[in-house]
Amino acid sequence: MSEVVEAELGHLEHHEEEANDRTLFGFWVYLMTDLLMFSVLFACYAVLHGNINGGESGRQLFEMPLALAETLILLTSSFTCGIGMFMARQGKKTQTLFWFAITFILGLAFLTFEVREFAKFIGEGHSLHGSAFLSSFFVLVGTHGLHITSGLLWMGTTMAYTVRRGLTTHIVRKLSLLSLFWHFLDIVWIFIFTIVYLGAVAWPS
Amino acid sequence: MAELKPEHGTLQAYITGFVLSLIFTLIPYYLVVHHTFSGRALLITILGFGVLQMLVQLLFFLHIGRRPRPTWQIHFLNATVGAILVVVGGSIVITTNLHHNMMPTEQALKLVNDEGIYQVNGEKTGACQGQYPNHQIIIKDGVATPSFISAKQCDTLTYITQDGRPNDIVFTQDAKTASYAGVASYSVRKGQNQTITLSELGTYQFHDSAQPATAGSFTVSN
Repeated sequence: MSEVVEAELGHLEHHEEEANDRTLFGFWVYLMTDLLMFSVLFACYAVLHGNINGGESGRQLFEMPLALAETLILLTSSFTCGIGMFMARQGKKTQTLFWFAITFILGLAFLTFEVREFAKFIGEGHSLHGSAFLSSFFVLVGTHGLHITSGLLWMGTTMAYTVRRGLTTHIVRKLSLLSLFWHFLDIVWIFIFTIVYLGAVAWPS
Repeated sequence: MAELKPEHGTLQAYITGFVLSLIFTLIPYYLVVHHTFSGRALLITILGFGVLQMLVQLLFFLHIGRRPRPTWQIHFLNATVGAILVVVGGSIVITTNLHHNMMPTEQALKLVNDEGIYQVNGEKTGACQGQYPNHQIIIKDGVATPSFISAKQCDTLTYITQDGRPNDIVFTQDAKTASYAGVASYSVRKGQNQTITLSELGTYQFHDSAQPATAGSFTVSN
């Protein structure tokens, strides 16, 4: 009797693992193709950043303390997201929700800074249409911002699920993909910070 | 069962990763903002810190390469990084070469005029040779004076602005956007005049692209 139950349990676990592997594989394929897309946008920026069409260059435009603040906020959110995931694996629902809520707030703060920066540039007449440099800048950083926005929407809904249904295997899997996505966005931002912001000051075109 | 349970990184690992990522952000920021050193060396240094930062994220937060994570993940990542290096490196090399080696026809025409190359391999290029009279258009308070100039071919025309804001002079002919002497627009700033050789015949209107009131026209005849 107990052998049968054990065999069935083993069977179920095996299924669960397979499902996990498949989901992870699918999501990883998405992340890698997304990374390729970002790399093309980076290539565009690298090629076009000197074509400022008589306007201001990144060196004159960017506010470095703001870029640093954005980076620190996103790094911290990546950390709190990791802690949230750690708590989820331990089955601690309240703690999981707490850390993901902090991640959400930090993500929102990051997005607010970015939108304000964009609004400031456009208000000063440096819009998407100003020059090839500005076009590639807005597209690269804006695409990252859109990813953050969708990440926040995803985080909000998954947290609502967690509140209603608790930390089921299904939800823990969702959370683990979400944290994968969030860490991935952090990595992309690190390169935006390094190449776009630090690069503008370090390597004037 | 306990030892078979997937190990997904400890709190310790997250904290170490976080501290390292802060350090790897603040060091390049300090180096860049305080101009410790500059040029290619600085660029390579900050890129190096970017890569370190990425490795911290991959190892401490994503637990890449750590069991029981499947190994295909790291192979996939390596292949993607390879593709990225080809795409980004290739784009940069190709476009830099294009930029240096290709010159649009209109730029070539302007160069021919600017440098006074009136003959290439025994054939006339159409460039003007010798000294010709100069005409001046002065932009002050957004008004271009004189608003009309009649010139002979090969005369020169100089735009001078006395306004603080730069003027972006564009040309139209028969109400259509045109380029003059191979150039679509000239940027004129205070203290930075633009002189063009009137090598093309015809009547052209010009105006400031951002300030249509700053306008005028010129006719070039034989």
